[in-house]
Amino acid sequence: MKTILCELLGIEYPIFQGGMAWVSDYSLAAAVSEAGGLGIISAGSAPADYVREQIRQTRARTNKPFGVNIMMMSPFVEEIAALVAEEKVPVVTTGAGLPTKYMKAWLAAGIKVIPVVPSTGVAKLVQRAGATAVIAEGGESGGHIGELNTMALVPQVCDAVQLPVIAAGGIGDGRGVAAAFMLGACGVQLGTRFLVAKECTIHEIYKKKILAAGDIATMTTGRRLGHPVRALKSPFTHQFLKNEMQSDMSLEELEAFGAGALRRAVKEGDEKNGCFMAGQISGLVNKEQPAKEIIEELFAEAAARFKEAATWVK
Amino acid sequence: MTLEKVTNLIAEKKELNPAEITAASTLESLGFDSLDTVELIMAFEEEFGITIEADETLQTVGDLVSLINSLTA
Repeated sequence: MKTILCELLGIEYPIFQGGMAWVSDYSLAAAVSEAGGLGIISAGSAPADYVREQIRQTRARTNKPFGVNIMMMSPFVEEIAALVAEEKVPVVTTGAGLPTKYMKAWLAAGIKVIPVVPSTGVAKLVQRAGATAVIAEGGESGGHIGELNTMALVPQVCDAVQLPVIAAGGIGDGRGVAAAFMLGACGVQLGTRFLVAKECTIHEIYKKKILAAGDIATMTTGRRLGHPVRALKSPFTHQFLKNEMQSDMSLEELEAFGAGALRRAVKEGDEKNGCFMAGQISGLVNKEQPAKEIIEELFAEAAARFKEAATWVK
Repeated sequence: MTLEKVTNLIAEKKELNPAEITAASTLESLGFDSLDTVELIMAFEEEFGITIEADETLQTVGDLVSLINSLTA
């Protein structure tokens, strides 16, 4: 299944592996790119040296295009913005803020810039700044989420901009891929499904939790902080929600309580104090597979859906 | 002059009484979250025929007015 996105980026399948902080390292990114999708390294809140090493390791493992996801709230955002331009990485995706002030330099370095957008206004703004495409990510996704959900956001973003749109949030299998295309997207981005890729290096306990999760396994915390997060229900998320309800707990104290929780989940599998970020489709993810198998399965399923759907039209 | 136009546009967007909006009002207190602010800035760009670089220093109605004034001067 080829779309305009494949041609634009030189990839075989119109699929991105989402940039997930602490999770999306060179092992996962290189495997996804090798399999014909776009693997993405997450810069998260890490310093530039870490990201440089990840880029080099990815390049050592694949000659195919890959991306770096930059979290605009990172304390190291300036140095990472400069690093990706210096390294001339093929694609940059951005999240958690506006990337517009860096886009000129990235585009000048020949980088394809694809911001995650939570609204039509932000989509229009980055289109004006020269974005190559946009990722419309709905609130079904794991990690930091916006207000709108995928079903409502994707078609509205498609109408608002004249750019290729990649749909994200709530896509876990071929049915989700097919639905995203029907909403007007020409590509998809998946995070949670790749958490259980063989090449994903997260703690075994994290993978087990995703594989065991059902439809109601996730919840949202952090609304009071203004940047909500979706994660698997756990002792940590329940305590976070309790703290959030306590009006005498300051925003600073709340932030401090959340600090390091994702790392504890990813690196240590800390079931008590870790924050296991995951999307609503965790319930659909039931098998650990190589990235290549995941991608091939997704598009075979999507193609079957399209063929079946075509028979309904007289 | 600019203040009046800005105030009216904000009032219209959020269905507020323009008399309750002053230069010292913060966008946050008027009910604008970060995404609303992006929309608002784009509306001002259209109204005044300018290009505004959105950043975190824009907090009050007065900040917006002085920025617009400097860009239309």
